[in-house]
Amino acid sequence: MAMKLFTSKLRQTYTRTSSELRTLSTAAAATAPVEGFDETEGGISMKGVKISGRPLYLDMQATSPVDPRVLDAMLPFYISRFGNPHSRTHLYGWESDHAVETSRSQVAALINASPKEIVFTSGATESNNISVKGLMHFYKDKKRHIITTQTEHKCVLDSCRHLQQEGFEVTYLPVRPDGIIDLDGFRSAIRPDTGLVSVMMVNNEIGVIQPMEEIGRICRELNIPFHTDAAQALGKIRVDVEKMNVSLMSLSGHKIYGPKGVGALYIRRRPRIRVEPQMNGGGQERGIRSGTVPTPLVVGMGAACELAMKEMEYDGKRITALKERLLNGIRSNLDGVVVNGSIDCRYDGNLNLSFAYVEGESLLMGLKEVAVSSGSACTSASLEPSYVLRALGVEEDMAHTSIRFGIGRFTTEAEIDRAIELTVQQVEKLREMSPLYEMVKEGIDIKNIQWAQH
Amino acid sequence: MASALSEPSRAAILSLFRSLLRTARQFSDYNIREYSKRRTIDGFRQNRELSDLSLVSSAFSDGKSQLEVARRQVWYHMALLDVNHFQVVEFRA
Repeated sequence: MAMKLFTSKLRQTYTRTSSELRTLSTAAAATAPVEGFDETEGGISMKGVKISGRPLYLDMQATSPVDPRVLDAMLPFYISRFGNPHSRTHLYGWESDHAVETSRSQVAALINASPKEIVFTSGATESNNISVKGLMHFYKDKKRHIITTQTEHKCVLDSCRHLQQEGFEVTYLPVRPDGIIDLDGFRSAIRPDTGLVSVMMVNNEIGVIQPMEEIGRICRELNIPFHTDAAQALGKIRVDVEKMNVSLMSLSGHKIYGPKGVGALYIRRRPRIRVEPQMNGGGQERGIRSGTVPTPLVVGMGAACELAMKEMEYDGKRITALKERLLNGIRSNLDGVVVNGSIDCRYDGNLNLSFAYVEGESLLMGLKEVAVSSGSACTSASLEPSYVLRALGVEEDMAHTSIRFGIGRFTTEAEIDRAIELTVQQVEKLREMSPLYEMVKEGIDIKNIQWAQH
Repeated sequence: MASALSEPSRAAILSLFRSLLRTARQFSDYNIREYSKRRTIDGFRQNRELSDLSLVSSAFSDGKSQLEVARRQVWYHMALLDVNHFQVVEFRA
C-alpha cells in the first residue's frame, strides 16, 4: 500500500514537472536528435531535403504508427513480465504463456477462426513463405502445380519462383484492367495436380479486393487448399475464414497499428492442412514455427486485433469520408487524374492515382512534405514502374506517375486538405514546364507523334 | 466491483469526459492528439442514447480504463519527446 501511494505520488509530481517543462520549452524535455538528422532553424534537414516539420504521413500500406493502446498493452512485457512463454516451471513463463494465448484468441476472433489454428510468425512474409513453400514441399509427391496472380506481393511471387527452380509449375493468372482476376480464367487454369491457389485479399499497391468467397467456393468444390495474403485486409474489411473457405491466411501486425516484427499464419484444422516447417528447432507453435515466441510483440498484435474489431466500423466510415474528400479535392482542381484499379471493389484507405503528363519521380520529390509512395515500399528504391500496374495494362507513362495515398486511423481532415493543396500545386507546376501538356492543350494527340529515333 | 455496477451520475460522466479531453490535449504527437480528442467526443456522442443501466455502467468503466491508458501514454510521449516532433500541418494552424 505504501509503495502504491509512493508511486502514485511520484507519478503526479513527474507529470506536473514535465508538463511545466513542456509549456516553457519543448527542447528541454526532448531526447537527443537522431543521427544523420540535422536540426536547422525551424525545420528538419535530412538527405539534403529541408522541411518545416515532420511530413504528414499518408503511407499506411507501408506501415502504420503503433496505437498508444497497443503500446500500453505491450510495455509491461518489456519490463517485469519478461518470461519465456515456453518456460513451464515458473511464474515468469506462465504469465507470458497466458498472455500469448490471450493474444492468439484475439487474433482468431477477428477472422472467425479457432485459437488453435493461429501460429505466430515474424510477419506476413514468413507466413507466405510457410504457406507456399511449406505446403508444396509437404505434398510434393502428388501436387506439382500452383496458381497465383500477377499482382501478388513479391514474397509470394518469389516463393513461387523458388519452387519453379525445384521443378514445380506455376500459373501466374493475369488480371483484368480493374485489377481483379477473371474467375473463368481461374477455373480453366486448375489442373488435377494443382496443389495450391494463392490470391491476395486486398492488393497492397492498388487496394482492390479480390472476390474471395467465389474463389473459396471453387477451391472447396475441387478440394484445393486456398491461401490468401490478408496483411492489407485484416482489421480493415470483414475477414471470415469460414465464409471465404480459406485454408491458409497470412497476417501482419504492423499494418493494423501493431508492432513490426510479428505476424500470424492461420492454418485450417478441418480439413487439416499440413506444411513443412521452414525453421527447425525447439518445436514451438506446434513445430510449424520454431523459435521463442516474442511475447511483447505478440501481445501487441493481439491488442491491435482486438482494437481493430472494436474500431473497424468507426475507422471505416471515417476513412471512406476522407478518401472522398481527397479524391474530390484533387479531381476538382486537376484534369487527367486516373484511379488505378477497380472503383467499386476496393479498400478506401488505399487510393492509387496516376497523373497524366507529369514525371513521377519529380512529383514524388516535389511532395517532400507528404510521405507517400509510388507503390510498395519493397520496390520504392527502383525507378522501374510497378509490376502491378503493368499487369493491369496501365500505359508506361501513366504507370510512372502513380502515387499511392494511404489513409488510416490517425489521418486528419487538415492533413488531407494539405495533401490536396500540395499535390495540386506540384502537378500544376510540373505541367507548366511540360511541353507534352502544352501540346495536349493545343489539341495534338501525343500518341500519334513520331518521335525521332534514338 | 459494486461501484461499477451502479449507475454513474451525470456529474461523474461529465467529469470523465472532461478528464479524457484534457489528457488527450497533452499528447505531443499531432495525429494521436487529434485522434484522442475526436474519439472521445464521438464515443460520448455515440453513447448518449444509452439507457440500459448495465450498458451505461460498462461504457463508463470502459472510459475510465481508457483514461488510465491515455494518462500513462501521455507520460511516455513526454519522456521520449523527439526534437522534431512537430508535423507540417501544425505550423499553419
